[in-house]
Amino acid sequence: MSWWKFFLPKQASSAQLDSELRFHIEELTETNIAAGMSPDEARRRAILEFGGQEQVKEEVRDVYRVRIIDSAVANLKSAIRFIRKSPSFSATVIVTMALGIGANSAVFSAIDAILLRPLPFPDANQLVLVEQHNPKDPNFRTFVAPVRLEDWDRLNSTFQGLTGYYTEDVSESTGPLPEKVTRAWVSPRFFQVWGMSPTLGREFSPEEETLNGPAAVLISDRYWRRRFNADTSVVGKNLRLDGHLYPIVGVMPPSFLFPNRETDLWCPIPAGVSYGNARENNWFIVTGRLKPGVTVTHAQADLTTIQSQLGREFPKTDGDLSVTVDALKETTIAGSRRSLWLLFGSVSLLLLIACTNIIALLLSRATQRQHEIGVRFSLGASRGVLISQLLTETFALALIGSGLGLFLAAAASDIFRSLAAQLPRVEEIHLDTRIILYSLACSVAVTFFCGLIPAIRGTRGNLSGSLAQTSRSQVSGRNPLQWFLVGIQVALAVTLLAGAGLLLRSFQQLGRVSPGFDSSHVLSFQLSMNYGETGDLKKLRQFTDRILESLHATPGVEAAAISVGAPGVPLKYPAELKLVEGRADSEPKLMVDNRFVSASYFETMRIPLLAGETCLETEGPPTVVVNRAFADAYFKGKSVIGHHLQSINGMGYAGAAEIVGISGDARESGVDQPPVPTAYWCAPLAEPGTYFLVRTHNAPMTMAETVRRRLRNIEPMRSAYDFAPLEQRFSDALGENRLRTILLTFFALTAISLACVGLYGTLSYTVNMRQREVGLRLALGALREQIVKQFLLQGLAVASAGCVAGWGLAMASARVLSGMLYGVSPTDAATLSAVIFLVLLVAGIACLVPSIRAARVEPMQVLREE
Amino acid sequence: MPIEKSDLLQGTLDLLILKIVALGPVHGYGISQRIRQISKEVLQVQQGSLYPALHRLEKRGWLEAEWGQSSNGREAKFYKLSGKGRKQLASEESNWNRLAGAVSQILQTAH
Repeated sequence: MSWWKFFLPKQASSAQLDSELRFHIEELTETNIAAGMSPDEARRRAILEFGGQEQVKEEVRDVYRVRIIDSAVANLKSAIRFIRKSPSFSATVIVTMALGIGANSAVFSAIDAILLRPLPFPDANQLVLVEQHNPKDPNFRTFVAPVRLEDWDRLNSTFQGLTGYYTEDVSESTGPLPEKVTRAWVSPRFFQVWGMSPTLGREFSPEEETLNGPAAVLISDRYWRRRFNADTSVVGKNLRLDGHLYPIVGVMPPSFLFPNRETDLWCPIPAGVSYGNARENNWFIVTGRLKPGVTVTHAQADLTTIQSQLGREFPKTDGDLSVTVDALKETTIAGSRRSLWLLFGSVSLLLLIACTNIIALLLSRATQRQHEIGVRFSLGASRGVLISQLLTETFALALIGSGLGLFLAAAASDIFRSLAAQLPRVEEIHLDTRIILYSLACSVAVTFFCGLIPAIRGTRGNLSGSLAQTSRSQVSGRNPLQWFLVGIQVALAVTLLAGAGLLLRSFQQLGRVSPGFDSSHVLSFQLSMNYGETGDLKKLRQFTDRILESLHATPGVEAAAISVGAPGVPLKYPAELKLVEGRADSEPKLMVDNRFVSASYFETMRIPLLAGETCLETEGPPTVVVNRAFADAYFKGKSVIGHHLQSINGMGYAGAAEIVGISGDARESGVDQPPVPTAYWCAPLAEPGTYFLVRTHNAPMTMAETVRRRLRNIEPMRSAYDFAPLEQRFSDALGENRLRTILLTFFALTAISLACVGLYGTLSYTVNMRQREVGLRLALGALREQIVKQFLLQGLAVASAGCVAGWGLAMASARVLSGMLYGVSPTDAATLSAVIFLVLLVAGIACLVPSIRAARVEPMQVLREE
Repeated sequence: MPIEKSDLLQGTLDLLILKIVALGPVHGYGISQRIRQISKEVLQVQQGSLYPALHRLEKRGWLEAEWGQSSNGREAKFYKLSGKGRKQLASEESNWNRLAGAVSQILQTAH
């Protein structure tokens, strides 16, 4: 037997069947010969007795024929006929399904790419982020000292390797103008941990990873295409980074976007390199690759043991540190998880509404087809056959709908990508076979969900009845199931609208919040620098001063300042501070958010000074301005000016700093974050990542070119980049918030439109069915207003019931939104009432049209038709 | 007078085949011969019903088929009863006996 026969249904091969039948004839012939006939005669009689051989074979083959496929094809043919016969009905169903399935698939593609798939590295589930923190303050995780990283890597038994990196923006100056590039400094084992190697050229050699070894740089695929036009002979060319030459040794693959998609270059740092007291200088972000089969908890326990050993060995620097290990994927996506599931939940509600709409449509369709179905019953079709045919029709519609929906999803995922630029991994979202399979699964689920009830009800055995009577007068005008479905739609739409309304309200509230500073007319930008420059504080101070003075002197500029981290954008430097003057143990610890600014910051940002003076940028010890929240929290009713603050774990500028003033409260780390106790450390010391802030007379971006030119004159080797009005950074910082608000609002509006279509359709249908009754009542003297009122109330009663249910659902699901709202409670009565008012209003409009049409019935005409 | 296929009750042919095959592996020709002999020429099975029935029973898993040598040395397809077929035969046999008993009861008492 050939191998492929295993894949075919079991059946008699025709040769076998031939020989089986031939045997029978030969036996008959022999019996005949034994009875005394001549061989020829015996054979003739045998064939005659056997009968039509071909007919027998055909009947045997019939036994094996697969009936299911035949009937499925027939069902499909009749489904297509049905779709073509009723184009407007089919179009309504298809469009509804396309909307429901398409929106669902689009959000699913984002969930799949961001939450479900592993990170785009080999065996990405082994990758972890390792952080150190002070156990007294677990939220404040710091970077890791390179020396400590080497200790961890040497002593552990659970990692294949641990590696560290940090990034800075530097200037590349082999071209005509300096260009800002993002460079990641990476410790040894970096590419082994990530499991990636260059597509062109080679990795760093061991010599390049040792102190004073030769320089080398690996470039990203993106930079290779942008700067070198994908030239394959790029290896060996030099880049000039901050004045030093670096030969290119290789190009990384396009999928390698680590630490982020902006990274252009990777340069090696020798193992354990450091400066000053090596164990106190924390500047690495550490990632590791676990050994196969090792869990995160296991690795955490291992490193904790090692760190407590190190703590005994170096009590001063390592005594107060513990280690956390987290799966890298979790730390990458954690922030967006809730938003995405919220969107998926709401888009699934939308699909549910679409489905109930379709059920209602199919139900009314089934009543119209009762006659046809009755005829088919009486012609001998079984109920199963009819149900499977009706389901096939629904499936054909769902298939077309989901096909259309995929186009919709493709278009939507483009919009989504541009709206959701802040989300992690957003570049990985695209339509592929998984999404196509998902939408196919959706269409099967929708088929059964929507098709089964109408099919079962439509084929309920009353064939004699429906054949005997004309259908119209037999159908009840009440159809409670349809109204129930419409009620569900309204309820779900109210729930979605309530969610959208709350998000919108909280957005509106955010807009009203005064951040405590004036962000209009402020231009912000960065300047390429490297951390090496922060070693010489005197030079750094001169450099920063010169730039600020030059900016200040530019016509059209009111004030200029620096701030490490842009104001109003989530970024915190919290730490515990101590008071040099001492503090009673009973008093709360000084947990403070630290901001590093120049003295001109308060003038530039227009943060009012409430007491004391702005800090002085003297060459001597630094000075500090604290905000009112600090004074209120820690010095209630006492004078705070004149005290000295000092950091505990070597953060910021060494030495104690005198508090010289109190400023107003500003929402430094986000408009949605209430002000926390803050200390502004004043020193004109820029570092990589510092923002330059310029208050302008006119629209900020009009000054960008002037500022750029000015900087080029005084700092020709640096590139100025990332120019943006400060207000835009605010709105970008709320990007995820805005994304879910926009999308949820969109879903909610679609939901309410669908619910209105459902209301309108069901009421129109009811009106149609009761035309005769209405005509009769009009003929007997009923007023047209009464008719309008009656139908309108019927529709509104269902809508109201839906609203009540929706209110309950919204209250029950309020918890989902908590934490995403600002300045509005998840059960805000005003929002819910407004939503219900809106729903009743549009529901009223949707009901009014068919109600008025009902009253327009001409009694004589309707009665004559019967 | 021989009774032909059309006169047999539906399902009776299946029962007869199962019963014959239960006696031991046998080919199609053998089955038709045995039905004729045992019923003393009363029942004659047309090949046009016999072979489709055999293949239907095989497809249902009540019969198993195997090629082998017939008594005169020819290649023939032999059918034998499967475990499933044995159960089926038992239940059909008892059904038949009940039916036949009921029918003859009525015929005897309804004079």
